Amino acid sequence: MNKPMLAILLLLVAGLAANTGAQNKTAPKSPSPPAKAEPFTMPPHASGSKDAPIVMEVWTDFECPHCKELYLRTLRRVIDDYCASGKVYLIHRDYPLPGHQHSREAARWASAAATVGKYEAVTEALFTAQETWSVSGSIEPVVATVLSPAELQKVKQVMSAHKEEIEAAIENDVFLGHEVQVTQTPTTKISQKGVTLSVSPGNFPYATLKSYLDSQLAK
Amino acid sequence: MASPKLDRLLTAARITLGVIFTYAAFLKVSMSWLTFAASIDAYQILPDWSVTPLAQLLPWFELALGVLLVSGFAVRWIAPVVTLLLAGFFSAMVHAHMKGLDIDCGCFGPGEKIGSNTFLRDGTLVALALAVTVGSFLRGSPARHRLQ
Repeated sequence: MNKPMLAILLLLVAGLAANTGAQNKTAPKSPSPPAKAEPFTMPPHASGSKDAPIVMEVWTDFECPHCKELYLRTLRRVIDDYCASGKVYLIHRDYPLPGHQHSREAARWASAAATVGKYEAVTEALFTAQETWSVSGSIEPVVATVLSPAELQKVKQVMSAHKEEIEAAIENDVFLGHEVQVTQTPTTKISQKGVTLSVSPGNFPYATLKSYLDSQLAK
Repeated sequence: MASPKLDRLLTAARITLGVIFTYAAFLKVSMSWLTFAASIDAYQILPDWSVTPLAQLLPWFELALGVLLVSGFAVRWIAPVVTLLLAGFFSAMVHAHMKGLDIDCGCFGPGEKIGSNTFLRDGTLVALALAVTVGSFLRGSPARHRLQ
């Protein structure tokens, strides 16, 4: 092969190589973009419609026996009779007391359960079995009684991946409690059209709360 | 007939008791009755159905008794009622304490736990009310007592 032919051949090979390279550059087989982490928002721990005429905020501690009594004796019926009919918007607020060893952990479980729409179910289970887990500290088996295995897995995942957000939500509830001078649990704040009607520490029978709510709704 | 000195002491006791009753009632009346209902319910003595009417009526009843005590009207009728009421409150506190309930007294609104202070104060008030009751019967019959 003479020199000009060799040069042409080399140029052709170089050109081909350059073209191939250019093609790789313009159409890279790019890896799929990294999945964007969805911003995590804590679902509200609430029952009923936000547009309800009366807003009830209840600060509770999962280890507090009076809170258990209020929830099981009174709040469950409020949820059925007033929240379901759009008359009351009930917001559960955490107020874990320092003396209660496991109440904050229980609040974390309940908060995480809200992400699978099981806040009320887990709250009820925790209050019902309060005497058991508050002694043993074994909360997961109680939570597991009202969640499917898949839901439990998701809740555990949320608890480990969003620990800080959950903690911040609990702290926010405590802060809001301080703002209305919560000194004990349970404490119930009732508002209507943004006006605070009462801030009542302690417990009351369903009939009493019903009478109060009815009188306010009638105004 | 009581001595003038004792008479003055009993008058002071009656007015003090009346002012305390009026003040306690005023605090309860000025807050939501739901708050007072929670205080009543915490004692775990009364049936659920009675909590609401009591929470709504008792503060007004206390207010009336306080004003009447201060005015000195019908003391022979009012003082025994006040004594019975205070004895009832004191018994309720003893009952709660013996049951181991860690609750608010509810005497002057929420935020005051039952303890030695509340026992001392309410015990003193019962003694004072008893003294006023006994004194009202030992006293003569001034004009303002003719209704008694």
